[in-house]
Amino acid sequence: MAPGQKLYPRVTVKKIVKAHSNCNVSKNVDVLIFLDYALFMQTLMKEATIEAKQGGERGITARGVRKVTADSLAKFKG
Amino acid sequence: MPMARESHPRVDVTPKPRAASADPAPSTSRRSIKTPGSSQARGVQRPQGLSASGRKPAPLVATPHARAALRAIDSRRAAIFTPHRARRQSLREARETPRDFLLPLGRVLARNTNIINSSSSPRDQKTPGSGGGDADGDTAMEEDEYDDEDDDLPKRPRLSLPIDADDDDSDLQPHRSAGLEDDNLTARSIELPRRAFSEQRGSRYSLASMRMSDYSNGNDVPPSEEVGIDSGFFPPRNAIDQDTLDLRAGDISAYERLDSDVGRRDTARFSDFEIEVPVNMNEDTFMIAPQAQESPTHEAPELHEPVDESEALDPQSDDDNDVPEPELAEEASDAGSEAAVEAFAKSDAQRSTKKRAIKISKHGIEYPSLPPAVVKRLAQTFAKTSGAKGKITPDALKAIMQASDWFFEQLGDDLQAYAKHAGRKTIEESDMLTIMKRVFFFYMTDPIYLRQRQTNPHTTPFALAQRHLPRELLQELRMTPPAPTKRRRKASGGNEDKEIT
Repeated sequence: MAPGQKLYPRVTVKKIVKAHSNCNVSKNVDVLIFLDYALFMQTLMKEATIEAKQGGERGITARGVRKVTADSLAKFKG
Repeated sequence: MPMARESHPRVDVTPKPRAASADPAPSTSRRSIKTPGSSQARGVQRPQGLSASGRKPAPLVATPHARAALRAIDSRRAAIFTPHRARRQSLREARETPRDFLLPLGRVLARNTNIINSSSSPRDQKTPGSGGGDADGDTAMEEDEYDDEDDDLPKRPRLSLPIDADDDDSDLQPHRSAGLEDDNLTARSIELPRRAFSEQRGSRYSLASMRMSDYSNGNDVPPSEEVGIDSGFFPPRNAIDQDTLDLRAGDISAYERLDSDVGRRDTARFSDFEIEVPVNMNEDTFMIAPQAQESPTHEAPELHEPVDESEALDPQSDDDNDVPEPELAEEASDAGSEAAVEAFAKSDAQRSTKKRAIKISKHGIEYPSLPPAVVKRLAQTFAKTSGAKGKITPDALKAIMQASDWFFEQLGDDLQAYAKHAGRKTIEESDMLTIMKRVFFFYMTDPIYLRQRQTNPHTTPFALAQRHLPRELLQELRMTPPAPTKRRRKASGGNEDKEIT
């Protein structure tokens, strides 16, 4: 993450989680949520890269991402 | 002076060794003098005497614990130093040992086998079955065989212990400790009950059920066993089926895949199998996840879904105007699919343009999705670090956006469950930390982080926060309640000098 850029839309993240959980979200939880999300993205990208390499494609494709999504989500299940 | 007191009883035998023991230098000359007392204590036969006391060199025969420990060390080292692809291949070889086939075979055969038939040539029949077991299993089975030979005598009253009654059951099974040695007991004992409990409840709204539909239309996503390559870090699905038969076999990575797979099958709700997906439907259909999956576009409409939506939309029609953002609207117009349009056309024709921008959770609350620019930036960063070339195509970005929508829904569900369990209506940081603890369990099974854990056992969420989050957010985290702050300081203090990456 390049410094100086806008980090992430905090309000949006908070809204999303609030909508899904039907609970209030306390003050700094969204930072941790975003950290979790970043780790999830890292896992997803890593798996998708491996998938692409195995399939002989160059770069990350939508198909590869979709294929590894289930596994990555299962890893991040609470 | 103490030495002289020690050798005092030997004075009776010979006076000489005492003088020699006072100064250790001429000990070789003393060995030539065959004094019984001194030669036993520290003479030529020194190794024998010391090994009898069990003090000196390590015993050559390794105990089962030592063997298991050595095996664990070896496997860990192999996991660290082997690149991913080679590791997977080695895994596959490990999975193809004949034990996996022989164990179910043994279970089947043991019921139908007569003792008399098998005892005619017991040695020949049983040697292949004991291939997977270790020495303990072999000796145990040999003892059983001798008991069988005793049983050949007809109708002889048995005077031995009733242990023999089970002989036919234990015919082909290796010793119990055979399977326990080489898998990760901690992982299994912690993970298996938890997973089994949390995933057997089908009532959850989690993504497992929604992901099912992605797999059910197999035209664009072929299942992994048909492709013939194992996906990612995990073994292919047919290997997992074998592992399901034999739970003791397999290692930790096989286990992860196993449970995720099983969970996906078990938690699928009935409605998932009723979804009829048109064959020519492209992937855009699933972009707007909640409505496309759960809205009644299918033949068997569910009752609660339309009720939910109509309930949800009406009281909140006032809020519609401030929520949407311009980029969201444009993104959703790309992603609008026939299913979503249909669902919304039913609910309200007026707001259909805006409705597509906003998604509605199962609680009837509208929510925006993350702006694609943010997602793309994150994905690009991590794709670069994981070694992918090229940019992320728009299609891939759509898939990633969908994955992150699912992720947030799953996360919201979990957070709600934790908060409700604690009797709160507010999600606090402790809930998030609880979730992340589990995440780190999986994170740690990754070889990269395994290595890191060896150097630094205090890898905490905060260490990772230090690594992944920018400074501004870390400062926010410092304002957390006292307990996490302490942990955080400790972790970061230990990390700053060790983590260079």
